[in-house]
Amino acid sequence: MMAIRELKVCLLGDTGVGKSSIVCRFVQDHFDHNISPTIGASFMTKTVPCGNELHKFLIWDTAGQERFHSLAPMYYRGSAAAVIVYDITKQDSFHTLKKWVKELKEHGPENIVMAIAGNKCDLSDLREVPMKDAKEYAESIGAIVVETSAKNAINIEELFQGISRQIPPLDSHENGNNGAIKLGKQTTQTTRRCC
Amino acid sequence: MVRLITRTLDMCATEAAESLLQSEETFSACLARINAIVLKPLLQSEPHEQKGKDNLKLLLLLNDCFHALWDLTEENHRTLKEKFSISPSLCLQDLYILWKGDLFLSVYIQYFVTFANCVVVQGFDQAAKNKSEFWKTHKTALKQFLADFTSETSIPVALHTVLHKPLRDHVQQYALILTRLSEAIGKSPDRELVTSAAKQYAKLQSFISQVLDEACLTKALWKSLGHKLTEWLCVPERRLLEDSKNLPVFASVGRTNRVLLFDDILVLIQGNNCQSFDLKLVWVDGSGSEKSAPENRHTIHIVTPEEAFFLSAKEPCMKAVWQWKLNQAVRQALNGKRDFPLWGEAREGSEPPVHRCFKYVFRAEGRFKNAAYEGEWYWGKPHGKGTLKWPDGRNHVGDFKEGLEHGFGICLVPLISEDRYDCYKCHWCEGKMRGYGICEYGNEMVYKGYFNDNLRQGFGILENPSAEQPFKYTGQWDNDKKNGYGVWDDKDRGERYIGIWQDDHRHGQGIVVTQSGVCYQRKFHVDKMVGSGILLLENDSVYEGNFTRDLTFVGKGKLTFSNGFTLEGTFSNKSGQGLQTQGILNTSSDQQDASITKVQLGLDEFPVEKRWQGIYDQFLGFLHSGCKEEMEESFTGFHIQTSKELRKSQEYLFCQRGPEDVSGKIEDVLEELVQHQEPESLQCYLQKAFKSSLHPLGKLLKALTFAFQATYSGIGANKHLLNMAQEEVKYYAKKIWELYQGLLHLALEQKGQPLAETEDGEKSDLSAYRLILPLILPCFYPELFMLYMLYHEKEDDLYCQGIVDLSLFPDIKLLEVLDVQKHLWPLKDLTLTNNQRRSLVKDKCFLSATECLQKLITTVDPREKLEILQKTYEEIETTVSRVVERDYKLPMDDLLPLLMYVVSRARIQHLGAEIHLIRDLMDPTNEGGMYDFLLTALESCYEHIQKDMRLHQRETWHMARDP
Repeated sequence: MMAIRELKVCLLGDTGVGKSSIVCRFVQDHFDHNISPTIGASFMTKTVPCGNELHKFLIWDTAGQERFHSLAPMYYRGSAAAVIVYDITKQDSFHTLKKWVKELKEHGPENIVMAIAGNKCDLSDLREVPMKDAKEYAESIGAIVVETSAKNAINIEELFQGISRQIPPLDSHENGNNGAIKLGKQTTQTTRRCC
Repeated sequence: MVRLITRTLDMCATEAAESLLQSEETFSACLARINAIVLKPLLQSEPHEQKGKDNLKLLLLLNDCFHALWDLTEENHRTLKEKFSISPSLCLQDLYILWKGDLFLSVYIQYFVTFANCVVVQGFDQAAKNKSEFWKTHKTALKQFLADFTSETSIPVALHTVLHKPLRDHVQQYALILTRLSEAIGKSPDRELVTSAAKQYAKLQSFISQVLDEACLTKALWKSLGHKLTEWLCVPERRLLEDSKNLPVFASVGRTNRVLLFDDILVLIQGNNCQSFDLKLVWVDGSGSEKSAPENRHTIHIVTPEEAFFLSAKEPCMKAVWQWKLNQAVRQALNGKRDFPLWGEAREGSEPPVHRCFKYVFRAEGRFKNAAYEGEWYWGKPHGKGTLKWPDGRNHVGDFKEGLEHGFGICLVPLISEDRYDCYKCHWCEGKMRGYGICEYGNEMVYKGYFNDNLRQGFGILENPSAEQPFKYTGQWDNDKKNGYGVWDDKDRGERYIGIWQDDHRHGQGIVVTQSGVCYQRKFHVDKMVGSGILLLENDSVYEGNFTRDLTFVGKGKLTFSNGFTLEGTFSNKSGQGLQTQGILNTSSDQQDASITKVQLGLDEFPVEKRWQGIYDQFLGFLHSGCKEEMEESFTGFHIQTSKELRKSQEYLFCQRGPEDVSGKIEDVLEELVQHQEPESLQCYLQKAFKSSLHPLGKLLKALTFAFQATYSGIGANKHLLNMAQEEVKYYAKKIWELYQGLLHLALEQKGQPLAETEDGEKSDLSAYRLILPLILPCFYPELFMLYMLYHEKEDDLYCQGIVDLSLFPDIKLLEVLDVQKHLWPLKDLTLTNNQRRSLVKDKCFLSATECLQKLITTVDPREKLEILQKTYEEIETTVSRVVERDYKLPMDDLLPLLMYVVSRARIQHLGAEIHLIRDLMDPTNEGGMYDFLLTALESCYEHIQKDMRLHQRETWHMARDP
């Protein structure tokens, strides 16, 4: 029995950059939401193997509207990772992304894994944000970066695999200091069934 | 053939009847003469001294018995005669001595016992002396009754003989007639009857001779004993059964030189003194198993309430006789009557019972001196149910064991000055109060709680309901005094002290909450406040420093106003001049600091595991004692639901309590525990257990409820106590789960079943959260929710204003304001009446979701509240899917505005309190999961509405300032 680790992942980014599309794509061919219920496209889960562990992503969507920006801390508290999404066809959304990164650095959980997703890479004709800019920026803040297409399912799996790899293994991280790492429900239930 | 037998029977009967008639005729005449010549003159004396009077009383009694006997004889004689005059032939039914055997026996027994009483006290000698002149002249008259009468025969002997010999002879006649009859009738079904009747008369004969022998023996004893001893011991009814002069035994008490066994007492004579023991409270042990028995092997151990000694004999046969006689005498004394004939029922195994019920007054020095015990005994000790009454009015009703109060008992102790009592209804152990008890003191105070060694110890509640200085203390006791963590309500001052006690004084850290909402925390030293403390005023300003009990600031201190301004300096309060201060006012901070206005008290000072230990300790004690049925009440308290029931119980506790009143059978409880281990049935079972006032867990919860209410209800409803309360409820759940597991463990052990794995700490905590907390929360919810409401009062007010503002918007306007995407608007829900414009319709959209969310306030269990949230979401999703005509998975960009719409329409007044209660008390494994997400979403709506309101207020404020 592999240990299941629940990882809270928070989605940030402007309205319309395709935050929820990425998640929908990610969990699409995987129907474990029959077992673990979802809240529309706002809250979803997916379990993937990583090394000798199973990572159960608890993916929290946030509202991208500017007016709700100040509510974001309630959502990203306790997150193990944040996926910050921008639209490669909109320079503005890359600006917002930088604001999010800054805020996470200042107020976010310690050691939060940040992953930058430049979505809509299928529309490279309309590209406004060069790949290079994103890469350089990501390097400067030590974040993962990929260009994705939720529509064409490009780099979606890779995005989350990248996050998984960045999560420190359990033993070095006992009693997780960001609160997201703990024994999940499944483990407890299984052991109960044995006795 | 049948007829032949009948005829023969009748012939025999007639024959017997004839001889009976003849005999009765003679006897009747004889009785008449005795009456005239002997009895009448005997009764004519008029004694002056006491002895003579007593004697006359006995003779009068004898006269009564004589007449009863005579009347019986006369009556039957007459009847028989009449029958003969009608028919020459009689049948068995006409032989009354056969049919009325019992009546005859009792009349004769009565007569001879009375006669023997006269003999014992030398009644005839007395009578003869009194009227010696008369008898000298009438001596010849006596002669006719006595065959061997000579001139030397003394008058007393003559009287003695005259008054018993003819009657005794007549009994012999009866026996003879019946014996003859039984021989004559041969093998007839009636023979059995006749034979047994004959036997009864034979028994009567031997009874009479035994009675007379005993009387003579006793009479001889009184003659031989010293005057003083006779005076003490001699009563007419008493008979000597055995005498150590006759059959030597030696008693191990002092200088005993003679042992006398009477039919009612055992007497040890020491020179001119004697000690007597009521046979009803004498236990005889001849087994010699007592280790303390002297070397001599032929000993009998005699046990009485206050003394135990040995009787030793030289020969085993002597011991055997004494032991046998002692046992028989005790048995007959307990029966209240002698055997017939004497010693007649002494068969094997007819030993007296060891459990007895009797009254006794203690004489020896000690606690029980002069106290009368009435109740059950066992081997010389009160044992079982009984009542102990002291001459000073103190009394104890209840269970005893081996001579001491043990088990449940009610003790009344009168107060010296007034006509009042302290009433203890308590469990006792070896003569002392121990375990749960209720004491109603004569001064109207009431203590409900635990005792040890007669002192208040452990958890207890003391209440003084009287008009003068009413108070209530709920907390820990030690050595009869308030010691440890406890809550004190001073009802006059309207104050509550929550904190540490030492020897009845507030001593250590303490929190005081007052009626006005002011509260403070500081150190106490023997009831006086010392050092500086923190004072939280009702206007949210906070003072840190020294202050008096009247809340005046003294000396150095820092006052922080709710707007963030601080005043640091030295305060003084001279009379008449008001508060004076010299200090620095700091107005730099324009932000109100929630951490100070919402400061939480008592968390470090009173660690949750140190509170109410007394309650858990008792339950643990119960577990460690192995959950004995008889100890259940003592540890977990009485099963009393209402005060009315308590009063009722008071009445019937004086009598015996029926089995149905005993608190739930522990055996059943343990059995049920074993059966309900699966999660679902366990939940049902626990739910029932918690509601039952009989179940140990139910009682535990009840006690915790008392403790919780004592702290947080009424004036304890203060926002600064929220965390203390919240943490306490969680700890209750944890502790109850722990104790439940202890109970289960014990149950499994007792049933010999394999023990369940012990859960590790983390898992155990989870079970407490998931299983126990939802079940016990309803007991604490009103107080706890009140604290949440007070804590979030300001935010909730602001939010409510926001809701009110939003409620002014019609549905469409609100959807627009909240930026809900147009294609999600459920315009189909807006059915219009005439002349109504769509844009003005209110409270129609997302109605199902709104109504669902409103159910939040009707639930208690956080899990149920979260389920309501989920359903609310589902309702939103259903509505949206209907509008867009396909399954629509809402992303947060759409969901949040919609949820905000629903929240603002649901208008839940104390939403902030609700959200935080759920978050604090929900299953911690929800963290990060779906329910956490939903709750966060709800919280963000709440925050947003508040924030909007704050902005709005600031704008209006700015507008007012810069017109």
